[in-house]
Amino acid sequence: MKKIYNFLRSMRFGIFLLILVALCCVAGSLIPQEREAAWYVQQYGATHVTILALQLNNIYKSWYFILITALLCLNLTLCSVIRIRSVVKAAKSEAQRAAGMRDTMLLSPDELDTLREHLLKKRCESEQIGEVTVYRKRGYGRYGSFLLHLSILLVVLFGALTLYTPKVTDMSCLPGESLHLEDGTEIAVKDFQIEDESGRIDYQSTVMVVLPGGKASGWQTVKVNYPLSCGRYKIYQNTYATAGSVTVTNLATGGQDDILLTELVMLSLDGMHGIWFEALYPDIIMEPDGTATLVTATAGRYPNPVYEILVADGTQFSPMFAFPGDEIEAGGLRFHFNEPVEYPGLRIKKVSVLAQDLLIAAFVLMTLALFITFFLPPVVVKVDGEGCAVGGPKPESMRMELEALFPDAPEAAPEAASAKEQEEERE
Amino acid sequence: MKILFVVVIVLYAASVALQFAGAAFKKDKLLKASWLVFVAAFAVQSVFFVARGVAAKRLPLSNQFEFSFAFAWGVALMLIILRSRLKADWLSVAAMPMALLILTYAALQPMEIRELMPALRSAWFGVHIGSAVLSYASFVIAGSIGLRYVLMEKKHREEDQKALRQMDYLSYRLVAFGFLFLTIVILSGAIWAEQAWSAFWTWDPKEVWALITWIIYAVYLHLRLRKKHSGVKMAWFLIIAVPVVFFTFAGVNTLLPGLHSYG
Ligand code: HEM
Repeated sequence: MKKIYNFLRSMRFGIFLLILVALCCVAGSLIPQEREAAWYVQQYGATHVTILALQLNNIYKSWYFILITALLCLNLTLCSVIRIRSVVKAAKSEAQRAAGMRDTMLLSPDELDTLREHLLKKRCESEQIGEVTVYRKRGYGRYGSFLLHLSILLVVLFGALTLYTPKVTDMSCLPGESLHLEDGTEIAVKDFQIEDESGRIDYQSTVMVVLPGGKASGWQTVKVNYPLSCGRYKIYQNTYATAGSVTVTNLATGGQDDILLTELVMLSLDGMHGIWFEALYPDIIMEPDGTATLVTATAGRYPNPVYEILVADGTQFSPMFAFPGDEIEAGGLRFHFNEPVEYPGLRIKKVSVLAQDLLIAAFVLMTLALFITFFLPPVVVKVDGEGCAVGGPKPESMRMELEALFPDAPEAAPEAASAKEQEEERE
Repeated sequence: MKILFVVVIVLYAASVALQFAGAAFKKDKLLKASWLVFVAAFAVQSVFFVARGVAAKRLPLSNQFEFSFAFAWGVALMLIILRSRLKADWLSVAAMPMALLILTYAALQPMEIRELMPALRSAWFGVHIGSAVLSYASFVIAGSIGLRYVLMEKKHREEDQKALRQMDYLSYRLVAFGFLFLTIVILSGAIWAEQAWSAFWTWDPKEVWALITWIIYAVYLHLRLRKKHSGVKMAWFLIIAVPVVFFTFAGVNTLLPGLHSYG
């Protein structure tokens, strides 16, 4: 029992799990994830059976990846808990233990003076214990790696929470219209533009969120990198598309209607005469010989929009192009083609704001903890009449510093006992 | 602009050539000249860097050319700082060719200035990519120290022991520094991705390879703490990790499809 427990909390097991995570990541980046099953059949032939059986097509949600992550969390929890106990315990007796260390560096009286001065200049606190002085500073530095592992644990936990709990939907909305979500939230879009004032591509919409309780965000600009937050909702600029726009006048009654054209549709009074809207193209290239090539790439703007339509006259259909400003009469209706209208595709995310804030707090903690671990290690130096020794949980930096300070000082053999002690502190 | 770039690359190549000549014929004068040329190359490179930023009216870090150019600049900067602070002339042998290698990769990339796509216009852009430059540069220099370590250790000379210990320590410090900045790269990237694409993490290949790199160096840091592994083993570890860094930085964009394939 004790053996299993020791293994579960060991650094060796932690490293093993980390390597497994890395291997899963390699597989997951080489094999495209979450495609249709048919895609794997086509791409990998017979191998697709193995890929699907091992869940390599969706590895980050496979049972074994989740198990590895869970074990990593367990391992991190155990090792953090164990460590904090031994670190606190070791801290209490640190000065005493340092005083008992054998010198590892032998120094002349002059050098000893230099050393003492050096340590005091570095703002170490000194403590006299019998014949020896123990210089110490940055005691908090010892908690760096505890905080680090704790923060990694928190990042994994809150990360999983924010990754798998939000509800995300992509919807598009024409300017002037609103989206109504299941819970009664309304998302209204006032306008949308592809370019900013200087003509640079910069998709932006003016959007308002009205929550079921009546709380509203007010009109706000939503663009890439600048989502709108309101309550638990976040609204992102995701994609955009362009719709045709036509003003239809009933020649008999004079009635008028503005219609946005996004898909194949017939505009007609009797279902027999009128026009079919087929598609809207951004540009058309007319060759000298009279043939026309339609440009289909929709990246960016519609410099010369073209409506492709069929004029229906009973069973007769004649294909036609129409440009903004053109007018066509058919079936008792007059169609005035307008400039197309651009509209945004919005991504709507419903999320726990608290979980997100906690995750970001864990990010900050992790960065701080790493900084403390590597750049603010505790200093413990014992000095007596013959030389000095560096102790504490992280002696290496100070040892190298002293070695640089006294490059010619003879070294005494490192003390076996203190090395063992450090090793114990680690485990 | 193009001419300035050619000057930079020629100067770096010259400094590397002088370095090798100096080492081969044991001529200190050549080594000194090599260093002067290297510093000059770095100065011209800095001018190019600033000029490009001014011309593009933004941080010049947005595509493969600009990023690899900055990466080489980071390696050179770090080498210059380390050499002047530590008087460790031997660093040049391995690290100089690295700067040249990365710059050669930059030369193969399309160089024209293009408008920044909307997703890249963010305050996080500078933090994210600037940290990546620092992080990768320190891993690469740590790897070159590892190389030097392995070569020196082969000779089994008693008088080298102290130098070996210092090299081992210096490469560990570099990894610690690089690891801190790689962490910042990943975390700032996550925050940015949440603002731009709505999710902190999407298992995009570039993210995943940054994580793999991060894990590799975390394993290094743990193994080194145990003190059970000899300096040579750890040096080999650092050497083998460098190709992974290069893959994360360049290979992913060209070989694996994903959101980060900006060009
Ligand atoms: C998940 C990723 C992990 C990262 C990035 C990480 C990072 C680190 C780093 C950077 C250090 C060096 C600290 C120093 O120099 O003092 C360290 C130390 C250590 N790590 Fe981890 N670690 C991870 C996971 C684990 C796990 C799973 C264990 C399992 C037990 C573990 C156990 C330890 C131990 C025992 C130490 C020595 C602590 C000390 O010196 O106080 N780590 N870790």
